[in-house]
Amino acid sequence: MSNRHNGQTAPVADIKLPHVNIDDLIVCLKYYVDEENAHIRIKDQAVCAACNPKPCLAFCPAHVFETDRHGRMMVSYQACVECGSCRIACPFRNVDWRLPRGGHGVAYKYG
Amino acid sequence: MTGRLTFDAIVVGAGPAGVAAALTMARGGLNVIIIERGRFAGAKNLFGGVFYTHALADVLPDYWERKPPFERPVTEQGYWMLSPDSVIRVMHKSERYQKEPADAYTVLRARFDPWFAEQAVAAGALLITRTTVTQLLKDERGRVIGVDTDRPEGKVYAPVVIIAEGVNNLLTQQAGLIASDLPPKYVALAVKQYINLPAKELQARFGLSGPREGVAIDVFGDATLGLPGTGFIYTDQSGISIGVGMLLDEFVTHRLRPYEVLERFKNHPVVRPYLEGGEVREYGAHLIPEMGYDRMPKLAGDGVMVAGDAAGMVDALHREGTNLAITAGKIAGETALAAHQAGDFSAAFLSRYRQSLEGTFVLQDMKQYRRMTDFLESSPQFMGTYVNLLNEAALRYFTAHGIPKRTMEHEILKMVRERRSFTGVAWDMLKLMRAMRG
Repeated sequence: MSNRHNGQTAPVADIKLPHVNIDDLIVCLKYYVDEENAHIRIKDQAVCAACNPKPCLAFCPAHVFETDRHGRMMVSYQACVECGSCRIACPFRNVDWRLPRGGHGVAYKYG
Repeated sequence: MTGRLTFDAIVVGAGPAGVAAALTMARGGLNVIIIERGRFAGAKNLFGGVFYTHALADVLPDYWERKPPFERPVTEQGYWMLSPDSVIRVMHKSERYQKEPADAYTVLRARFDPWFAEQAVAAGALLITRTTVTQLLKDERGRVIGVDTDRPEGKVYAPVVIIAEGVNNLLTQQAGLIASDLPPKYVALAVKQYINLPAKELQARFGLSGPREGVAIDVFGDATLGLPGTGFIYTDQSGISIGVGMLLDEFVTHRLRPYEVLERFKNHPVVRPYLEGGEVREYGAHLIPEMGYDRMPKLAGDGVMVAGDAAGMVDALHREGTNLAITAGKIAGETALAAHQAGDFSAAFLSRYRQSLEGTFVLQDMKQYRRMTDFLESSPQFMGTYVNLLNEAALRYFTAHGIPKRTMEHEILKMVRERRSFTGVAWDMLKLMRAMRG
């Protein structure tokens, strides 16, 4: 995607990151889940199927996006911390992102 | 017109910008409503942790008597330049940081923001929580005349709306103040953990003499894998705020999981001893608008103004944002008061908001650092190559191998040349100076 780092920094691809089970982090968060309304939806599954890098699988800080074994993009909106990254960083603008209904979603205790 | 819920002013969002605006307007005698989507003010808010008090003192001169829920005064601050196995620390500690109220405090937003909102309520503003503004209401000429919410029959009207919605600038776009979403190369994504640690233990580890001392450390280099961005470690009352932030584009380009980058930072041999035995009490993530002065939205339209993160009011270099937001909110509030006096809510009249703001540090600092984001993005070696180089040089400098010092100096220079040509270094320094001088 970008080659501006060539020869400039340690190759990031070679750095091994520690595995983190995101559920261990999500569990310490307080959510008021809106069971009737998903505030994040995939606009067109075909677009995700054709998306090769699928960067959302990595950059989403709550790991909301995951593909199932049929390759469909699954959205665990319940774990969303409403940062809005997917809204602007999906390369195909394929994420329909709204604010959760008032009072729903994440509620930080510390922030 | 029957049964229309009407106020003198509507504020969207109960963060620092919105509350400062509401407080200013309520004290000026306006009937103000603040609409907040969270269950309480601050429920959706998260930042690294350093809050600068000067702007708060401007809107609330007696804030100290109102017992703000600060964590610790910042009495020592500075930078760590972290390589994979080493660190150079440049820290500043001074007796002069000791007097309170201090210039800066560490803060946890879910504690601070409710307190700040209470001050606006005490001044007469109406705070409505658990209510999401879904759209702006406009008249036939496109002037903003109110907002619609997700409450049944939830329309609220006012001659002026102040948008303080935060970094996800949906309403700012709807108002036509900015043309499109912020591109991922101008937005940083930060993740953070709040780690609980008994105050005594925390103080011993960071060399603090008591609860009235605190440390704020910004970390360059290996914290963000050598990519443009920063790590941070801030001491709270009985806990540590630790996190990493990078331009969202970097996470996308390198397929990085933000929480794994943070975990790696936490496991760094220099960092780990500070966290030992601490419990992760909370994890969170937030975007930071770093588009800079030249890509800010228009700050006013007919019947509408925008302040805080929604307007991109951030000085990333100095980790400032809440103080810019409070100052901007205050001036937007004052402009709304003047507009009521004049009976004129046109874009032309409300443009006084921007004019006043140009005279403050908010837009002057943003103007000065207008090239900063582009500079970091185009010069990634600043965070990687140079930080590693400094650590290597320090290692040579501090070790005695029975090598003549002159030879050591040559070795250090050779190291620099191998990693970046001298013209490359000169060029980088020139670009850095341009980015700093504005």
